[in-house]
Amino acid sequence: MSLTSFIGAIELGLVYSLLAFGTYISFKILNVADLTVDGSFVLGAAASAVFTFSGNPVLGLIVAIAAGALAGTITAVLQTKMGIQPILSGILTMTGLYSVNLTVMGGKANIPLLNKTSIFTYAEQLFPGRGYKIAALFIIIAFVFAILNWFFRTQLGLSIRATGDNEEMCKASSIDTDFIKIVGFSLSNAIVALSGALVAQMQQSADVNMGAGMVVISFASIIIGSTIIKNKNITLGLLSVIIGSLIYRFIIALILTTNFPPSYLKLISSLIVITALSFPNIKKKMDVRKLERRRLHAKN
Amino acid sequence: MLRIESVHKVFNKNTPDEFIALKSLNLSVSEGEFVTVIGGNGAGKSTVFNIISGSILCDSGVVELDGTDITYMPVYKRASYVGRIFQDPMKGTAPSLTVGENLIIAYMKSMKKNNLSIPSSKEKNYIKERLADLKLGLEDRLNTKIGLLSGGQRQAVALVMATLVKPKLLLLDEHTAALDPVSAEAVMELTEKIVTENNITTLMITHNITSALDYGSRTIMMDLGEIIIDVCGEERKKLTVQELVSQYK
Ligand SMILES: Nc1ncnc2c1ncn2[C@@H]1O[C@H](COP(=O)(O)OP(=O)(O)O)[C@@H](O)[C@H]1O
Ligand SMILES: [Mg+2]
Repeated sequence: MSLTSFIGAIELGLVYSLLAFGTYISFKILNVADLTVDGSFVLGAAASAVFTFSGNPVLGLIVAIAAGALAGTITAVLQTKMGIQPILSGILTMTGLYSVNLTVMGGKANIPLLNKTSIFTYAEQLFPGRGYKIAALFIIIAFVFAILNWFFRTQLGLSIRATGDNEEMCKASSIDTDFIKIVGFSLSNAIVALSGALVAQMQQSADVNMGAGMVVISFASIIIGSTIIKNKNITLGLLSVIIGSLIYRFIIALILTTNFPPSYLKLISSLIVITALSFPNIKKKMDVRKLERRRLHAKN
Repeated sequence: MLRIESVHKVFNKNTPDEFIALKSLNLSVSEGEFVTVIGGNGAGKSTVFNIISGSILCDSGVVELDGTDITYMPVYKRASYVGRIFQDPMKGTAPSLTVGENLIIAYMKSMKKNNLSIPSSKEKNYIKERLADLKLGLEDRLNTKIGLLSGGQRQAVALVMATLVKPKLLLLDEHTAALDPVSAEAVMELTEKIVTENNITTLMITHNITSALDYGSRTIMMDLGEIIIDVCGEERKKLTVQELVSQYK
């Protein structure tokens, strides 16, 4: 692996670990696979690109966060107040967002940001050398990590974790679980949108289709992370997400050094998730087989 | 204290499965009373609890707690007054949170809602003391995930959770039925201790007729959505297990 692709993998691993933080909140903490992510990621990228294009990259990040939070709120309201199934709620918001994203991007499928000032331009001035993007991303992720690590220990954060674990018990403890889910999903999608916003500025373009498969990619990162750090509290859980995201990008970078066609990358992400999620079940069946065979041997 | 007036509940109305679960039920419980509730399966006991705690709504009638009409109040709002423990030890606690975190969740009933403060050491100490009252050694396991505890231990923690902030009314729905005899006995003793020490108004459903007569101050028996026996005082003291069993249809 060349130095360039090594640095590239770290950059991608870091910027997509924000995406994985976001889905960690919905998938691991609230126990719902929230497909809004594919749309809110692009929403963040689109908002960021529009503002970066007109010379306001920082404002772009802030607007992206707010827009992502709004998208998450909509999904949560569909789920709680309208009683639509969690998965379908996410799909509905995601589908609707496609039109919203196109509108935000002024009807164009792509916004190029070449030679535009982005937060990475500022970073380049601050940190000389090849690692300036890594430095900028590291600071942002450390900040988000610190906030989340604190937040999930507060009463509100604890209520979110408890709601994902046992909703009935939370209601019995006077927790307004509808409100709690709204907070959780909006926080989740705000971070996802921030991830999309940073990706757009880093790769100097936003594309209306750049969100496809983001849910699966983030699940793969979360799952890889959770096999490395097991039985964790919230701090280790968040750390495992960053590690998982970095490893995922290194796997992809390694695959790309071979002659493997890049068009298969999404299939590989899916296979990683399928393998990880089905592993416990398959292992159980194999264990039963083994026991059966052993008894058969003992009889003979 | 608790007043249930003409509460009527029909399940699957206007379908072939229509079923009258409660027939214009009336029940009044005064402050500090400990009522044991018995009756065959399907008699409507849990339905009464569901209506009191709000997880299902009645078709007609009034539920009043301490003079406040709570008939249509959402579950999470009335939960600040009503503590509830279920038969299934899995239901009352959040398994992947620690013992301490579960208790904090229950303790939050008494705090300002949704605030961004981290529980203080004073609050944590209070919780630890209340857990120590159980004398099960659980105060040393505050950082253990509650899913790793036994059913009896979980039910004991659920009992502390339901009474950490004194409820106006405590509902126990066969809360020892899923436990082994020794744990069931222990949890029952704890229940009695907590309820009497704090003078908590309590309704307890049980299939153990001996418990129903040994514990509490009043016993009611339900059948087909109606209260068919309601005894207290001397009359209850004279009642034998055999007499009650013969009332089961
Ligand atoms: N949500 C429901 N929908 C339909 N029928 C129900 C529902 N809940 C309870 N029932 C029926 O109402 C009757 C009384 O149930 P329940 O109150 O749980 O009895 P128990 O006295 O054993 O606790 C039972 O016949 C039960 O099948
Ligand atoms: Mg029942």
